[in-house]
Amino acid sequence: MLWQYLWIGPHVLLLGVAAAMFRNSRYRNFPIFFTYLVFESLQFWVLFGLYLRKLPIQTYTNVDLLLRAGSSALHFGVLQELFESPLTNDASLRRVTAPILRWITALLVLLAAVFIASIYYHIPGQRLLQPYLSVEAFNVAQCGLLVLVFCWHRYLRVRIAHFALGVMLGLGLVAGSEPLIHVWREYVSNQNSKIVDCVQMGVFHVAVLVWLCFALASDAAGGVISSLCVPQGAEGIERIAQL
Amino acid sequence: MIPLIILLSIASIFFVFLIWQVWSRYAPRREAALASQLTPIDLDAFENLLDREEEQFLRENLSSREFRSVQRSRIRVARMYVGALSRNAGVLVAMGQSARLHSNPEVAASGQKIFQQAIRLKVWCMVSELRLDAALAFPAILSPAGGISQQYLIVKSIAGNLPSQVAA
Repeated sequence: MLWQYLWIGPHVLLLGVAAAMFRNSRYRNFPIFFTYLVFESLQFWVLFGLYLRKLPIQTYTNVDLLLRAGSSALHFGVLQELFESPLTNDASLRRVTAPILRWITALLVLLAAVFIASIYYHIPGQRLLQPYLSVEAFNVAQCGLLVLVFCWHRYLRVRIAHFALGVMLGLGLVAGSEPLIHVWREYVSNQNSKIVDCVQMGVFHVAVLVWLCFALASDAAGGVISSLCVPQGAEGIERIAQL
Repeated sequence: MIPLIILLSIASIFFVFLIWQVWSRYAPRREAALASQLTPIDLDAFENLLDREEEQFLRENLSSREFRSVQRSRIRVARMYVGALSRNAGVLVAMGQSARLHSNPEVAASGQKIFQQAIRLKVWCMVSELRLDAALAFPAILSPAGGISQQYLIVKSIAGNLPSQVAA
């Protein structure tokens, strides 16, 4: 029962996140994340349909891999969206930073692939050229990119928008736990693999709840930035003219 | 079991980093003290360091060894200036972001302008720092580029108008 809920529940909630984003027009600022939510939901319904029709496991695995690749690509898109969020109104700056981000992404994917290969090299009976391992390498690269996005905001001294922070947290939870859970699965017997599945789905459920909470909360709730700084700091700001 | 331990350690560090980011996002900031963090910058001196004619004059009148040495010193000082400009731009970004939420629409609009221009300045400072680093390695081949001070003057003039708007 729990297993079924953890499989179906988060994907239904994803539609709730999308609806909340649509209601407060956040989909305009985060179109790729909105697309990701819709894609992830559709992905589930396709896989659930295959499961109900009891198709061969190989067909299910192939479709799952294909959809995971799409999901992973959208993750990278969301990260780019988050990276560029402080530059929303400046197309020329986005043109300057886009190639930098692309090169860093390529470098991180390469490093993550080497890292994941070195990890799985030590696990007995593992083949290194497995499609799922590529997905894990992408997950590790996404963690690196997420750190970069946080550092980028810190460098610019931009306070991360409330909803953007929620998106980053959810993504971080999923991307950070997936490689760990995948390796854990290698060490448990088939009988216990359902526990691993439950943990994996539970983590995704938490991520979806985080997205939902941040999507439902108004920006004012996250807008701890007070409007007091300008009037009260006016005396200090006058200094600017003299600098 | 070793791979699992390695991944567990890395994932733990990553999750601690995420928690720290959330905590620092909501930790109270001393916004009012922002303006006092600005550093005075002599833009004329800075422009002089990046002046192409000045560089050409030095190139023609010094031996190549002396030129490289002098040029490296100039680039080091210019990098310090860009560093200070970058810090000031950061302060202006934070200031603009706060001013965007002001109840007075004029102040909010100016805040938006400051925010955009200061972000632009901050990115240009980053690019300039990279250029200066490259020029420091090859002072005879690469020339440090200017143009940042103009950007700084734009942001500064918008931010300088804020007090009068607030008073109005």
